[in-house]
Amino acid sequence: MRWWVFIPVLALVLTMDAAFMPACSIGGHVPQLWPLLLAFVALYASRGSALWAAMMVGVWLDAMHPALDTSGATPRAVTVFGPHILACAAGAWCVLETRTWLYRRNVLTVAFSTFNCALLASLAYVAIAGIRSAYADSSPLWGDGSGGAAVGSDMVDALYSAVIAILPAWGLQSSLTVWGFATAGPRFAGGNRMNRGND
Amino acid sequence: MPFVSSRRILVIALGGAALLSALPQSFQTPWSGTLAGVLWAPLVPGASVLAWARDWVRAPAEPYQGLPEELRAAREDRDRLQGELDATQMRVEELERELGELSGYRPADRAGWQPRLATVIERGAGRPAGLLGIDVGTAQGIGEGDPVVVGGNQIIGMIAAGGAENRSWVIPLDDRRCGRIDAIVLTGAADGASAASEGTGAAGKKADKGGKADKARNGGGASVLVQLVPQGNRRLIGELESPANVKKGDSVLLSDAGWRPAALGMQIGVVESVGALDANPLRRRITVRMESDPLRVPRVVVKVRVPGQGQAARGTGAAK
Repeated sequence: MRWWVFIPVLALVLTMDAAFMPACSIGGHVPQLWPLLLAFVALYASRGSALWAAMMVGVWLDAMHPALDTSGATPRAVTVFGPHILACAAGAWCVLETRTWLYRRNVLTVAFSTFNCALLASLAYVAIAGIRSAYADSSPLWGDGSGGAAVGSDMVDALYSAVIAILPAWGLQSSLTVWGFATAGPRFAGGNRMNRGND
Repeated sequence: MPFVSSRRILVIALGGAALLSALPQSFQTPWSGTLAGVLWAPLVPGASVLAWARDWVRAPAEPYQGLPEELRAAREDRDRLQGELDATQMRVEELERELGELSGYRPADRAGWQPRLATVIERGAGRPAGLLGIDVGTAQGIGEGDPVVVGGNQIIGMIAAGGAENRSWVIPLDDRRCGRIDAIVLTGAADGASAASEGTGAAGKKADKGGKADKARNGGGASVLVQLVPQGNRRLIGELESPANVKKGDSVLLSDAGWRPAALGMQIGVVESVGALDANPLRRRITVRMESDPLRVPRVVVKVRVPGQGQAARGTGAAK
């Protein structure tokens, strides 16, 4: 995978998630584009590249979503690195495991993988936050309400993200050659991947 | 060329992430904020442009939307002055109480405030949810606990500690993590408003004469103390004694000594419903609805603390 393509696209996607996507919110549910990018990369890139990409996405998500430490007089916004990194790795892993039985060139496949990726990332995040809240955090990292409610809300977000992802997924599929994926050649075979150094 | 080809390095990186996830916040606090600021910095210009695009695509929920600009500004000024009047009235009441208990007298916090206009550049999508990112920070004098308002006197949240030079986080008032909030319900506000519109403002003058300024606003009502618990989705709930004459539509003002003086008297919202409390028939439960949706405001005003300048500082600061 060409990292010089991935990093600017990641920056654009995260900026859109932070500043633009709330314009598409319905009933408080906001679609996000990072699961789409991660699912797309995990569908085509090698396993190692996909996991590195997931970690990169996770680092930025951790930086963008500070937790709130409510133990002091004034609640404090604290950036905690780690939970999103693992959550994104879990999301990417889910796509990596399922991609072998999916027809990747279909836009709906990318949307389906987006849903899987977002959902598993959410489950992993809430699980990590739940464990942390037992000993480290004054309030759970996921915010208001119970963990189950957070997962339920995230499931709707994931579904909405998958629906919204159909159009940009078509754009990403069209730009497949630019990304230089090892597994996206016209006649991919395992032997081809062995000889490609651009992975 | 491979980015990082070694499987071992990948495993070590994942292990490091797992370790960071497991450690308490205090292990990361000294450096994580700085690193987050560095990672966020390249995205700021794009976020500002896209925030403008977002507001263009979907009109934000600003107070008095659709009115001519001059009328809107006039109404916002009116609300701001109303907020200051409410705050002053509450301060006078507090001073009266303190004078009545000379031994309990304590000097007041005389800090003034200046308005700082800020653009919301990040909304609470994803986890942890709820916080709003704004484009002003410690470099502009923003400090932890500063109240954040829209439309002159509608308070929507407070600044969280841990902001950066040019970026701060706002905790919306309806977020549970804001904690319990002491407030007063101006009973009869809804009736008073309708009475005023019918030209029957004489009752207010009588109340002023009697030294009960709150009654002037309410057309003969009184203020009822209540402790509110944020519930999310623009709502806060509280419990009241049954005899309190609270009705739907009454205004609810912040009256919490834990907040900055500049926040006192700002309007939290209006009473949306009043119902019986099954667990305790002597008490009633009220639901307060914020008039502005924190997740749909494009710009906010932070009331920045100016130590030692007193009330004179109010309104003199130029917006950003």
